Amino acid sequence: MKRTLLFFFLPFIISTYLSYILFIKACDYAMNVQAEKPLPFNHKTHMTKYNISNCEFCHGYYENGRFKGIPTVAVCKQCHEGKTAAEKIFFKNYKDTDTPWTSFAQQPDLVYFSHIAVMKNKKTAQCASCHGNKGVSMTTAKIKGKMLMGQCMDCHDSLKISNKCMVCHD
Amino acid sequence: MNKKWGMAIDLDKCTGCGACQVACMQENNMPIFKDDSDLPKRVTFLDLMKVTNDKDAKKKYGEVQVAFVPKMCQQCEGNNLGAHQPIPLETVKKRVLGGEKVFFPGITYDEQDNMLYKPEVVYTKDMVEDLEKKGVKSVYFDNSQPPCVSVCPVVATDVGDDGVVSQVWSRCIGCRYCQTACPYEARAFNWWNPRYEGDFKKSLNPDVSLSSRGAVVKCTFCSHIWKRERDKLLAKGEKDLNKVKYNPACVSACPTNAIIFGDLNDPESPVYAKKLNNDERAVRLVHSIDKADPKVREKWIAKKNYPNPKVYYLSSQKWLRDILVGFKNS
Repeated sequence: MKRTLLFFFLPFIISTYLSYILFIKACDYAMNVQAEKPLPFNHKTHMTKYNISNCEFCHGYYENGRFKGIPTVAVCKQCHEGKTAAEKIFFKNYKDTDTPWTSFAQQPDLVYFSHIAVMKNKKTAQCASCHGNKGVSMTTAKIKGKMLMGQCMDCHDSLKISNKCMVCHD
Repeated sequence: MNKKWGMAIDLDKCTGCGACQVACMQENNMPIFKDDSDLPKRVTFLDLMKVTNDKDAKKKYGEVQVAFVPKMCQQCEGNNLGAHQPIPLETVKKRVLGGEKVFFPGITYDEQDNMLYKPEVVYTKDMVEDLEKKGVKSVYFDNSQPPCVSVCPVVATDVGDDGVVSQVWSRCIGCRYCQTACPYEARAFNWWNPRYEGDFKKSLNPDVSLSSRGAVVKCTFCSHIWKRERDKLLAKGEKDLNKVKYNPACVSACPTNAIIFGDLNDPESPVYAKKLNNDERAVRLVHSIDKADPKVREKWIAKKNYPNPKVYYLSSQKWLRDILVGFKNS
């Protein structure tokens, strides 16, 4: 008797499982979870060897307050002159127009997220509170999750910042 | 935030050119449909209505007058029914101890405006004793809500800290309760998926999300422009968000400065609410309680929920004011 019940529900179980996987994959694709760049960048050496403690040295803001995001090759060229053999290969291979050169943690269209409002306001977050401790990472892979709404709301709750819809959505 | 954004529209200055409507549609990524000029199902945030004093076509030549009224979401706030009488905690305690089911329809606050409990939380003996320990002597509740917010089943629409009624299109399930509840018909329903011809999609505003088919959309006083201006101010090193000033797209587009935007709480702003309430020229749409006798007004405002919008219309013509206020036989 039990076996027939199992056989009866098997298609439902399989289809539910498959649709679950499909849903998760679609969410990951939409939120850009596999955002690893085709670039052997090492945050740790830049932080420790060259003593760059401020993230804004490379990830800064424009004059109107927009976040610059991932630095362009021109920013790298401010320090690297491109004389050594490794640097020559690097500047030859990587261009700003390379295809998976997208944003790191993409938010959906309905979110108006601005980094400067979170980082330069009265109550501020740390870079690590959303992105994980990137300063000690050796690759460009994503450390921390995909920034769901609950994560934002927990922080807003604990810092007693308004949690109205209008604060982030538009 | 102590801002309360509001708008004043001087209909004597308005020429009916429609620049505000075009600017609004472009700023908020409104889709373009085939022959969208005069359909009831069109999607616009700002509607330019033609009003005439010649409803029955009986007026003679020379007596007919026409005015154009730009009508967007009026950002109602509702009148706060609970704020009129603070309730002493002793009476609450008596009612709770008497075995009565005590709850308030709005968020309850203490005397220092600290939020105590969410709406419709049933008070128990422990909760009242806890409040007594904190030193709370009286509570009052705030249930001021626009008509659309209280009916939304999925919290897609909400009142922001600056009094602007927000709407998240992606959260909307398209039940259209809010459209029915709205006294101004300021909300529009997207009957079709948005279509953009040719290269139009490249010129869309990235700050505003596109709404899909089956969602209710409305004017939000261009809140994304406020966010843009806030980012500019923060980049300069300013941290006080009350200093952010902005103008919605319709205000910037108006060639005759008929639409003015500002803070209703600020005595120096051109749309100071107390000044406008005493102005004879100023009316609010379908809000005849404003023009009633002060005693009658106080009596009814304490009893009944009025929309209490934040958009004022100014006109020197009496027939137009009567139509806008919603008097009978006007």
